[in-house]
Amino acid sequence: MSDTRTENYAEALLGLARAEGAEAVVADELYRVAREIDNNVELSTTLSDLALPADRRTKVVTDVLGGKVAPATLAALAAVVAAGRADELGAIAQQLAERTAGDAGQALTTIRTAVALNPDQQQRLAAALEAAAGRPIAPKFLVDPDVVGGVHAEIGDQVIDGTVRSRLAQLRELF
Amino acid sequence: MTQLALLLASEGNGYWLPHDIGEVFGGSAAFFIVVGIIWWKAGPAIKGAMAKRTDGIQQDLDQAAETRQGAEAERDQIKSALADREREVARIHADAEATAAKVEADLIAKGESEAKAIRHRGGGDVEIARRQARADIQAELARLSLGAAEAVVGESLDDAAQADLIDQYIAQLGARS
Repeated sequence: MSDTRTENYAEALLGLARAEGAEAVVADELYRVAREIDNNVELSTTLSDLALPADRRTKVVTDVLGGKVAPATLAALAAVVAAGRADELGAIAQQLAERTAGDAGQALTTIRTAVALNPDQQQRLAAALEAAAGRPIAPKFLVDPDVVGGVHAEIGDQVIDGTVRSRLAQLRELF
Repeated sequence: MTQLALLLASEGNGYWLPHDIGEVFGGSAAFFIVVGIIWWKAGPAIKGAMAKRTDGIQQDLDQAAETRQGAEAERDQIKSALADREREVARIHADAEATAAKVEADLIAKGESEAKAIRHRGGGDVEIARRQARADIQAELARLSLGAAEAVVGESLDDAAQADLIDQYIAQLGARS
């Protein structure tokens, strides 16, 4: 994948979001939707299938996500899928989230947990990570059953791994 | 001839000799004269021939003696050569026996060494296989144990346990900062 093309797509979507006054919402929703699509093989395959007409692919996007995300997010996602870049959606969303966080003076932080966190847990966890990083963060909470338990956080290039999966892996290495 | 002379003598002429004594003397003188002439004229030639013959015989004898000496020398050389040949044969035989004994000893030593190495290697292979089997069993046991542990942990992590883990994580972050 071309980094330049990814950056250009992210820049275009950022302009679209700004025009709608919803940079943060679009960046956050697109980031989550991109992970959801990556985890859904059938949906990912359908959206990446260039044999399907573009309007069919965008219709799938609308049918699946219509009413669940902001209109600006839906428009941005439809634009990427119609352009035949659905397989690059994750990288584009990552780039967009990093740009948005960077513009706000924050570090994009991906937080993975085995179960969904309630707002109180999210707030406390974000505060603790911000204190640990020593800078403002833009948290992105993801549910990842592979974590098994605990929390896996990536603050830029910094990784703070407190998951049961990593402890089991350490235990496995001991044998 | 003798019988003829006796026959003539037996006929008798009045003398005890078959002829007149004068004839005897004359015949004898003529005989000695002839003999003398022969001795005078042919003597040197006869002596020369005799000397020549004697010399020839002597040369033949010398040559025979020389030939004999040569033959004896050749015989001695042959005998010496035969003796040398026998000694050489004996030496070669002795060398061959020594070489055969050395080769035999070397082969035995090499065979024993190889047998020892094979036994040692076989023992090493067995030990390696035993260690590998032990390691495989340990790894399999670890894999099964970890798989069981993961299953148990996964099932035991209810919402409360998940919340506790997150709280622990937050507390650890607080301790770090």
